[in-house]
Amino acid sequence: MSAARRRAELEPGFVLHSYPYKETSLIVEAFTLRVGRVGLLARGARRPRSALRGVLLSFHPLRLSWSASVELGTLLAAEWSGGRGALGGFALMCGFYLNELLLRLLPREDPHEALFDAYAASLERLASGEDEAAVLRAFERRLLAELGYAPLLERDAASGAPVDPGRRYAYELDRGPVPVAAAAGGELVVSGQTLLDVARDDYARPQTRDEARALMRTLIAQRLGGQPLHTRSVLRELQEL
Amino acid sequence: MAKEVVSTAKGLERLIEALRVLPGVGPRSAQRMAYYLLQHDRAGAERLGQALGAALQTVRHCAKCNNFTEDEVCALCRSPRRDPSLLCVVETPGDLAMVEQSLGYSGMYFVLMGRLSPLDGVGPRDIGLDRLLARATDGEVQEVILATNFTNEGEATAHYIAEMLRARNVKVSRIARGVPLGGELEYVDAGTISQALLDRRGL
Repeated sequence: MSAARRRAELEPGFVLHSYPYKETSLIVEAFTLRVGRVGLLARGARRPRSALRGVLLSFHPLRLSWSASVELGTLLAAEWSGGRGALGGFALMCGFYLNELLLRLLPREDPHEALFDAYAASLERLASGEDEAAVLRAFERRLLAELGYAPLLERDAASGAPVDPGRRYAYELDRGPVPVAAAAGGELVVSGQTLLDVARDDYARPQTRDEARALMRTLIAQRLGGQPLHTRSVLRELQEL
Repeated sequence: MAKEVVSTAKGLERLIEALRVLPGVGPRSAQRMAYYLLQHDRAGAERLGQALGAALQTVRHCAKCNNFTEDEVCALCRSPRRDPSLLCVVETPGDLAMVEQSLGYSGMYFVLMGRLSPLDGVGPRDIGLDRLLARATDGEVQEVILATNFTNEGEATAHYIAEMLRARNVKVSRIARGVPLGGELEYVDAGTISQALLDRRGL
């Protein structure tokens, strides 16, 4: 046994996703407060009477205990921690989307305590029926910032001047907003007001919602290296039915 | 760990490779199975091979309920004793068998053969939602009962089926969830109790 055996006791965490493993076990991808994303083997979790069955569910705050010597840890215990209404309907799909973002963009065992809190708060807001678009955009911005790619929103990337709410800006991916002529079109041309609204997580204005959605989608896509998101394509298929 | 050593027989290798399609069977289990079949039970291996071939030839999906059958329409869907106005939607044939065992249901079924799983990229096209829609709106069905699992994936599946059916004016219901029959609260997990309290009903 290596000296670097790591243990965690009652660590606050969420299940992001799980996969069947062998006949009766489960591999759980969890997002935890102080360790970040971890892969855990939950032995026997798929047995008919396993006590873990009603516990290892996504979107519910849990307390996880595990021990790890190699990349995949062994889950020792999982406890329910605080009852909140389950996500349903479109909010549930939004929850899957948040989980996919974390699974795809967070490396394992890279702690992000502030992001963990933002994730927990986002689920809370989704469960209480808040406007989904506002919750998603705020989380996306937070995630990008935590990964070290906070988008420049309040200053013009060319001159460094404060963004003027009345002007239009072309958002250049690796720089930020650059002012353009009022008539200029293009995929990532947004109003200054949108940039300032995003910086304050204010999505009351319809134009802000539309432009911020396109902007965040492009910024996230850049981090994903062009790989599409499953949740987004499943949602699109569902809308076509 | 080093990979398997010397290749002694091509057929053996192919068999081991083929056995690995089974869920939960890795290279080691596949090798054990292959040795067992060839060494200790060649008659059993013969039967396995024939049964597999025959099943692939004859077993298909029922045109009405999507369950496995050898006929165009399965025996359950043809039975005159079933109530054709009720359609119960389940994820797998195993779920159907369980509902049947309860002896509490005499309507028809639709087996999705899966569930929506956005994180795995499993969408509506992968689980035959279009066929379910056609079946549920064929005029015979009066109520669709959603009996998908109470996992997040099962809930998402139920939600979207319900939306689509409501848009087509089909009555939809969801099976109830909560404390199991004979369940003592002291031994029921916290998640179930918390949900049972949210889903409480007036008496």
